[in-house]
Amino acid sequence: MTGPPPIDPALVRAAQRGDRIAVADLMDALTPYVGRVCGPIALQDGPDAAQEALIAILKNLGGLREPGAIYGWARAIAVREAVRVARQAARAVPAELADVPAPGDPQLAADVRDVLARLTPEHRAVLVLRDLEGMDEQAAGALLNVPAATVRSRLFRARRSFRKAWSP
Amino acid sequence: MVAVSQDWPVAELDPVRRMRVVAASTPGVGYAEKLIPAPFDAVWDTASDLERELPRLLTDVRSFEITSARGERMTARARGWLGQRARFDVVLRPGWCVMQSRFLIGGMAAAPEGDGTRFAFLGGLRLPGLRLIDPLLRPPAGALALRPIRRLEDRLRVR
Repeated sequence: MTGPPPIDPALVRAAQRGDRIAVADLMDALTPYVGRVCGPIALQDGPDAAQEALIAILKNLGGLREPGAIYGWARAIAVREAVRVARQAARAVPAELADVPAPGDPQLAADVRDVLARLTPEHRAVLVLRDLEGMDEQAAGALLNVPAATVRSRLFRARRSFRKAWSP
Repeated sequence: MVAVSQDWPVAELDPVRRMRVVAASTPGVGYAEKLIPAPFDAVWDTASDLERELPRLLTDVRSFEITSARGERMTARARGWLGQRARFDVVLRPGWCVMQSRFLIGGMAAAPEGDGTRFAFLGGLRLPGLRLIDPLLRPPAGALALRPIRRLEDRLRVR
């Protein structure tokens, strides 16, 4: 998949200096990416998670030293906020996949939501970092503050859930 | 690999949620929002008529004149009743308006909600050091931010 569109470093610096129009423009530029990270982790609480993530990102913008690194920096905040919001919402269902959607179901998007909903927010975070963002286990573990082995086992479990859902 | 990224859920933020983000990340501003029992188009047609409506919504503004416009970006000149003047940079598009001068910031956002419209208003000062007293400023500034929304509701009843 293609990466997010580049963000002009001058826009980031203007926002860091307190230009509020630049802050709003930067928020507009980051919102689709943050929404893509938060959506699969926080599910129905995705808008709350994306809102909280963007607040944390913009409040802490002064701590970003290299404007070119903004997506990676924002991703770390978005994943943590999405897991936090999803946990708070207490909708995590760490159950086995009891009744999985039928393979070949035309409602594929609904199936993805269904399978994701049966994982914990932490498992969903691992899936997003590895399979949507293409991070390796070491980097994903560092971002989530867990050992790479934990990332591997979460990933195994999450992928098994998907395979169970879609394999004949 | 799970190659279904195009089907993964994406979280979207409407303009009011985006204005909450701007409000929460801007020190020293007042922010309020309210559900207005009127359709989005009626609310935004009024709110976005800046030259005509801003002096009615903000009692300390005597006039607000758009001096240049290019797409959704504009500059404007505001005058107060005490003779004070300020040049504003403005971004205006459906459901969204932010403006700032050297010392002031303002914003409005609207999004349909049920049969009505959720409307948000933001206003405050841009001064160094406001972050330090932000918790003190928020409650009174929030109450002040509700007044323009009430005036907008009055205007909608008149128009």
